[in-house]
Amino acid sequence: MSDRSLSGRAAEDRDGLVPVLCIMGLWKRRAPRLAAGAVLSLLALLAGLVLMRGAGARMAGLAFGGAVAGLVVLRASGVARVVLRYVERLVTHDAMFRALADIRVWFFRRLAGGAAAGLGFRRAGDLLSRLVSDVEALDGLYLRIMVPLAGACLVLPFLVLAIGPVDPVLAVLVGGLFVVGAFVLPLAAALMGRREAAILTHRLADLRIGVLDLVTGLREIRAFGAEGRMLSHARARDAALLRGQARQARLLAVMGGVSYLCGQAAVLAVLAAILGVGLGPIPAARGVGLLFLVIAGFESAGGLTRAGALAGGISRAAARVVAVGESDGPAVSVGTRPAPVGTDIRFEQVSFRWQADRAAVFDGLNLEIRQGARVAILGPSGIGKSSLAALLLKVASPSSGRIMLGGEDLATLESGSVRQRMAWLSQATHLFADTIRANLLLGRPDATEADLWTALDRAQVGDVVRALPEGLDAWLGEGGASLSGGQGRRIALARTLLSDAPILILDEPATGLDAETEREFLTTLYDVTAGRTVILIAHRLVGVEKLDRVWRLSDGKAVAAAV
Amino acid sequence: MSGDKMVMRAWTRAQSRLGRRQAMPVMGCGMLAGLVAVGQAWCVASILARGLVGPGTAAWPGAGQLLAALAGLALLRALLLALGDVSAARAGRGARARLRDEVLGAILRGGPALLRRRHSAELTALAVDRIEALDGFFARWIPASVLWIAVPGLIAALAALMQPGAGLIMIVCGLAVPVGQAVFGIGAAVASRNQFLAMTRLQARFLDRVRGIATIVLLNRADDEAGRLADAADELRRRTMKVLRVAFLSSASIDCAMVVALVLIVVRDGGMVQVLRHGGASAALADAVARSLFVLLLVPEFFAPLRALALAYQDRAHASGAASAMGDLPDGTVSAATARGAVPVLSEGGVSVAFENVTFAWDAARGPVFEALSFTVPAGEILTLVGPSGAGKSTIIEMLLGFIVPDSGRVLVGGVDLATMAPATQSGLISWIGQKPVLFAGTLRENILFARPDADEDALRAALHAAAVDRFAADLPEGLDTPIGEGGFGLSGGQAQRVAIARAYLKDAPLLLLDEPTAHLDPETESEIFASLRILARGRTVILSSHAAGVRAFAGPCLDLGKMRCSQPGAGLMAPVEEGHVHV
Repeated sequence: MSDRSLSGRAAEDRDGLVPVLCIMGLWKRRAPRLAAGAVLSLLALLAGLVLMRGAGARMAGLAFGGAVAGLVVLRASGVARVVLRYVERLVTHDAMFRALADIRVWFFRRLAGGAAAGLGFRRAGDLLSRLVSDVEALDGLYLRIMVPLAGACLVLPFLVLAIGPVDPVLAVLVGGLFVVGAFVLPLAAALMGRREAAILTHRLADLRIGVLDLVTGLREIRAFGAEGRMLSHARARDAALLRGQARQARLLAVMGGVSYLCGQAAVLAVLAAILGVGLGPIPAARGVGLLFLVIAGFESAGGLTRAGALAGGISRAAARVVAVGESDGPAVSVGTRPAPVGTDIRFEQVSFRWQADRAAVFDGLNLEIRQGARVAILGPSGIGKSSLAALLLKVASPSSGRIMLGGEDLATLESGSVRQRMAWLSQATHLFADTIRANLLLGRPDATEADLWTALDRAQVGDVVRALPEGLDAWLGEGGASLSGGQGRRIALARTLLSDAPILILDEPATGLDAETEREFLTTLYDVTAGRTVILIAHRLVGVEKLDRVWRLSDGKAVAAAV
Repeated sequence: MSGDKMVMRAWTRAQSRLGRRQAMPVMGCGMLAGLVAVGQAWCVASILARGLVGPGTAAWPGAGQLLAALAGLALLRALLLALGDVSAARAGRGARARLRDEVLGAILRGGPALLRRRHSAELTALAVDRIEALDGFFARWIPASVLWIAVPGLIAALAALMQPGAGLIMIVCGLAVPVGQAVFGIGAAVASRNQFLAMTRLQARFLDRVRGIATIVLLNRADDEAGRLADAADELRRRTMKVLRVAFLSSASIDCAMVVALVLIVVRDGGMVQVLRHGGASAALADAVARSLFVLLLVPEFFAPLRALALAYQDRAHASGAASAMGDLPDGTVSAATARGAVPVLSEGGVSVAFENVTFAWDAARGPVFEALSFTVPAGEILTLVGPSGAGKSTIIEMLLGFIVPDSGRVLVGGVDLATMAPATQSGLISWIGQKPVLFAGTLRENILFARPDADEDALRAALHAAAVDRFAADLPEGLDTPIGEGGFGLSGGQAQRVAIARAYLKDAPLLLLDEPTAHLDPETESEIFASLRILARGRTVILSSHAAGVRAFAGPCLDLGKMRCSQPGAGLMAPVEEGHVHV
């Protein structure tokens, strides 16, 4: 699986609890709220216990003629139960939403700050989507695991302390059963869940690949008449997933049943003690109260087995999320000095590889690009043309040699200021599901309306945008104005042009465009970039580019080629 | 919007009907568990009453018997719970398998034309994730939507047998729940759907920003975007909390009804018990205490299915989203209009192709791609299609592939109208190589055998050699058994195209369609691929759509669609333009 290359190894080696603790560490700032939610939830649980105990005790008291629990207590605990439960749900949900936002923002910053930016640079879109679903899996951590677990931790002493004075043996017995039902079984489910979750994740990924093959290969399938074969292939993968889920469901059902039996055994023990069969005897009137307490207490722990099974999957997700940015890609030196005014670029004996176990992309690369020059760097796909952009943009750093910008070593320059000097446009340049205006403003947040239109016009897409009913406020992406691939590229170009960066790095900017559109696009490019350094990275030239110099990459070096 | 809602409701109803049959065992287990719960409550109440006031009437079973019965019932209930869980999971799986089959079938029926309207990632998400998310609808919501009436009804009826007054209290409080749901619930249903939508939107935004992280970082906007993400999440929280404040009232109404029922029963029965105690009749007192405790113990059981329904409500919300996405897929009905058994005439060196007055429009509003287009390609000839993008090069090829059908006119292959040919006959005639062949997840061998799974080793070897796959296959880590495609070893564009050529050799069809086969290749690789394609083209009819360089790769007539369209709109018979007349 491809995610193994990113973080799988690190994630699998690690203990299940460490990453979860790391995620919980993020919530320190939210601790008061989260704790308040948990406490309220405990109080609501307590009110429920008191209510059931009170109801039982009152009936018993009336029948037996002993001390009668007051109706006031009953009513008060009833009202408290309803109100506390309501408030608790509001507070815990509010806390959960805040915690959730924290995780997302943290994950985003981490991804942006670390080497993982290089990951996005290398177009690992699907991998990133999978990570996002891992982040979403963490949603259940607080509401579905931490809060109920805290509840169980309160119920246990409450049960033991309530039963202990009446009959210590019974207290130990009931306490033991509760520990099994609320802690041992969920823990077993969690351990099992970890293993099962891995298998199921794997099979789900298999199914997804099978379906993706079927969908993207629709042309091939139709052309080769392979409908039946592909369908049965996808069905087989679906069946494998369902078999795995069936086994998990059976195991969970058995564990749920056993957990229920723990509760019932505790009820039986209390009843036996009341009757004096084997245990006790204990006073019947108190016994009734205890019985109701035991029922309510075990009921509160009933969902923990399922939560345990969930925890297995969550801890795996947490491990993958935490591992992001730790292990992937070569480290990038953090510079401190601002970029100089000059924009001459020089590669001096640069060697580079993405990973230690991968072949070198560059080996003693020398290259000089003068301020304002227009150069092309050519080479077949996979030769490392994009790595060149990555090095310039400080997404990656050379393993040896150095890159000079305006006479200073790139490694010593602060990456933010370097990126202000360079505008980057490639096929991987993302158009966000947002308005055209918001997409453009990313290039220069303080741009005026007039600036935006100028940029759109220079990218020759102004008329298209003017024709949209909502103009600049038209929505791009899913559910939005559907622009053609070429128009989308032009909007991305407009964004690149908006930035006043003196260096433009254009990495296969026309990929995916048909020949005619490509020519128009490149012609436009020439007209609108006058005065700036242009580095065009491509696998071939179309013939309309007007260039000062052309380099061809081969064997990790750049060779001058005829213009 | 209202039409959309109708579709959604119809879908939900149809699925509920289908799902209910599979959910029968779940409901059966639920009902039986309800009955067992009543038995348990009776045992516990009897034991307690015996403990409190001694045995009642002589007919009462002994203490040991009661405990044993209770233990037996507990085992039975645990078994029913587990069975219910297992069969709920089975119902969910069955429904998902069925839906996935339907969706995949619909995608295959829709064919490549579907990809023009929908993104492949979106279709994959529909067939995989959306359907996975529907599990709860079938496993939890459907059983819960029946059990929430059936089980409380059963329990209230049995409670009423023992104590009509308490039974009445339960029913009245139980009925208050739907009333409460109606008061707050209308808000809650809308709120829950809105919350679900808002949540989905936030998730989509997050996913979008993460996918574009490189763009954001390189534009120096990471801090800005992180802040905006936090703002959006906070905005969502504030709005959601506003609706949750109302939504939670509806579940608070269940809590409230239960507490009221408990307190009312305690007060009412407590009074009765006290009167009996002062009366001094021990047997009657024991009986009354047993009955009261019995009813009291039933109260939580009575409300449990109502709670389960409230919990399952979010599963329903998922279903509504999936419904509208699935509604867009092509229908299940296959047009069995014509008896399609016509057999084309094959000659020695290929098969003839003819377009007769073919008109086609992708979108009526944008006008036809071509009108009354006619041309003929004799068997064994090579025709090159040229013209700017949008002129209809790919449209012609897709029509020959049967991905689309003409609005009017006929497409003849081997003298027979494609529309009268069985799909298998049609696909047997044609090999096709597009811009980027799809490599399926599997080994290199499997990918080539895709063209003809029953090909023997000799045929495979011949195809490998002819397409020059064997030249690079030897360098792969595991040779022909190297996994390629998603998650496998990456092949270069040229290598992938060679796989496609090997497929075409293996299939050995008389008509070869080439749709810009070198569009993504560098010039050197391009000329190598064209060399291989020229060999493949021998003894076949070829239709090639290509850009500049491709035109020079094959000798033969050219059809310039762009010119035809500009200078002679609605041209009649169009003789193939001789080579050299085309300017590129």
